[in-house]
Amino acid sequence: MNEVTKKIREVALKLLQKKKVDLVIGFEKGTLPLRATPCFVRREEEADRLVWNSFCENNLAKYIIRRPERVAIMAKGCDVRAAVELIKENQISREQLVIIGIPCQGMVDRRLVKAELQEREILEVVEKDNELILKGGDFKETLDRNTFLYHSCKTCTHRNPVIYDVLVGDVVEESNVDPYEDVKQFEDQLPEERWEYFSKEFTRCIRCYACRNACPLCYCQECFVDSSSPPWIGKTTNESDTAIFHLMRAFHLAGRCVECGACERACPVGVDIRKLHRKLARDVKERFGYESGVSLEQVTPLATFKPDDPEEFILNP
Amino acid sequence: MESQGWEPKIVAFLCNWCSYAGADLAGTSRIQYPANVRIIRVPCSGRLNPFFILASLQHGIDGVLVAGCHPGECHYLTGNYSARRKFALLKSLLEYAGLEEGRVQFSWVSASEGVKFAKIIAGATEKIKALGPANKLVKGKFEGALNE
Amino acid sequence: MKTTTIKKKDIAGFLDNILTEYKVFAPVTRDERVVFEEIGAGSEAILDYQNTPMPPKGILFPQTERLFSYRSTKEIPDIVVPSFEEKQQLIFGIRPCDARSFTILDTVFDGDVKDPYYVNRRANTVMISIGCTKPQATCFCTSVGGGPFSEEGSDLLMIDCGDEYVVKVASDKGTRLLEKRGFEDAGKDKLAFVEEVIKKAEASMGPEVETDGLKEKLDKSFNDPIWMQVTDKCLGCGLCTYFCPTCHCFDIVDETVGSAGERIRIWDSCMFPLFALQASGLNPRPTVKERFRQRIMHKFSYMMDDYGKIGCVGCGRCVTECPVNLDIRQVLDKISRSEDIK
Repeated sequence: MNEVTKKIREVALKLLQKKKVDLVIGFEKGTLPLRATPCFVRREEEADRLVWNSFCENNLAKYIIRRPERVAIMAKGCDVRAAVELIKENQISREQLVIIGIPCQGMVDRRLVKAELQEREILEVVEKDNELILKGGDFKETLDRNTFLYHSCKTCTHRNPVIYDVLVGDVVEESNVDPYEDVKQFEDQLPEERWEYFSKEFTRCIRCYACRNACPLCYCQECFVDSSSPPWIGKTTNESDTAIFHLMRAFHLAGRCVECGACERACPVGVDIRKLHRKLARDVKERFGYESGVSLEQVTPLATFKPDDPEEFILNP
Repeated sequence: MESQGWEPKIVAFLCNWCSYAGADLAGTSRIQYPANVRIIRVPCSGRLNPFFILASLQHGIDGVLVAGCHPGECHYLTGNYSARRKFALLKSLLEYAGLEEGRVQFSWVSASEGVKFAKIIAGATEKIKALGPANKLVKGKFEGALNE
Repeated sequence: MKTTTIKKKDIAGFLDNILTEYKVFAPVTRDERVVFEEIGAGSEAILDYQNTPMPPKGILFPQTERLFSYRSTKEIPDIVVPSFEEKQQLIFGIRPCDARSFTILDTVFDGDVKDPYYVNRRANTVMISIGCTKPQATCFCTSVGGGPFSEEGSDLLMIDCGDEYVVKVASDKGTRLLEKRGFEDAGKDKLAFVEEVIKKAEASMGPEVETDGLKEKLDKSFNDPIWMQVTDKCLGCGLCTYFCPTCHCFDIVDETVGSAGERIRIWDSCMFPLFALQASGLNPRPTVKERFRQRIMHKFSYMMDDYGKIGCVGCGRCVTECPVNLDIRQVLDKISRSEDIK
């Protein structure tokens, strides 16, 4: 058992024993190889279910929204950012939350791993340092975990929690990669090429709304998709409706999306959703000097304005 | 009447207090501007729901213009500032996704800027005419099931 | 004819021949995924795959289907109903669980009330399934009345025997298809060999999900707090229902522009928040707990009451695809074992 798992169980146990919280949200071992699954611990004896590994891919901030009770949450860098935004949006109060911050080395993309092994069924995974040892019926393979991280982890600039009540694990070095490198390269392509790329991506979308439901910042009681008066978009898989679903969801998340990648991980057909969200995140940073989820004081950009906001796009003949 | 080629359909969302009044002034001053534009009056440019723009594009509208009061002159004090931020992001997002530049535009038009309004319409119409009919995001005939 | 054989290298040619008379759907690779698509040539079909992530239910029950178009410029609107498929179609290479799923969809769409869109397609469809010599760890078909070589729902069942398939005939449609193409009976030896293959595959299947007494347990569990516990992590996204070969809930929407439009049937999901919302504003299933409970009860209890069948074929897709690894097998197991539910 790794050190972080051990420490998390201790922290959770203590919090429950001292009645500091009513609930600890973390991860436990999944029922499939390459999976961990969200775990809700309410009793002391359950604290030993909690684990930390390379498959803790879900954004647990999703589960703190509008909770009446006091809750502790195992939070990676991106989860903490989402929690910060949720606090600012009054979906939970800071006082109710105990953030068990965990500096994150990135999560393994199970689909990439499966693709690497082609159709060979993986029955067991063991993690050892930076290696993934995969075992199947008639094979054993070792992969370097860092080659198989999620794209969102490879471009992550906030591996360490920006706020926390308890820090579990050693602080990790932040990468100085430019997270918007591929967005910039994409912008350099011709409009027709970009449209074609997105059209192709959206054709795969089956409108299951896993992306929306996995996103911690999507919590509207009635999503625009479900609106029938007026019906903003149709519910079929029509290309235009589907494109608008993704464009408008991205727009509704402008300045709020923390780029955690939960949407992409949930998507069963691999739509490149984050390419849209990250474009907006970059715009928001460059135009309004705002980065979501890093400060409890900064006001979310679409809830405020500056008299001298950039207006180079304004038509002025 | 000379035979016309295709003429773009353009929708302009104008705020009641400034830009709509400006358009009205253009009219009363008998300033000519292309008849391609259909005007929809909104109380404030800040009221504009981005869906209005997307719904227009979905219905095959070739270009969408939004105009509001100049910064500092909004009847509701700060509506146009919100609109400016929202619109900047929406326009950036749509063009990033591949929508042609020029189809969706934003400008400031005050109640006294009849001439400016006409110029904006004329310029936008010319630009959109050159871009051709809208072909992205337009909701085509529903294609149907696997078997059709 | 009870069995025949076909060499693997002859499959492409066999399909090409079928294509002269039938529309053929087969598993193909598209963007690194395996999906069921209409093929133009026999060589497009792939044979060695586990299962498609998306089930083939969309072939008979499309995700979006135009029911009719209308134009209301006169007092009585013009309605145009799409012409029903007359061309024969064949689904090749589906797994026995998916073939079985259609028998469950039949109880809904071809029962007391017949859905002409589905029924018409179904009548014109031949199913050739491929048995599972290597069931996956997530498969639990044997727990719900199926099996890796179940013939239910298939017209022909192919069994991988090295460089050839032994084909078991499961229906008259199957017999006619083969006889027309000159296939002959393979004899008893092949059957014996095949029995071994089947036994080996069945033995390799993982632990069963206990379904004995499950319905009774479920019926007593409605108000038990166990539902709160198992649904804590559910996102309510609906992915499980889309990927489920037996899920069949649908919504009907009208899309109108001006005076013309279409009435369209689309997949709906009991996991969606507005699914049970009533016009009064009351939502009897306001949270994921109620909706998930409903899903399980529907599949493992209510469908038994209505149709005498479990509404699940054990394909395991909901297990593999769920974004939070909410495992239906684990849920059913917990409920079966719960001593608090009496």
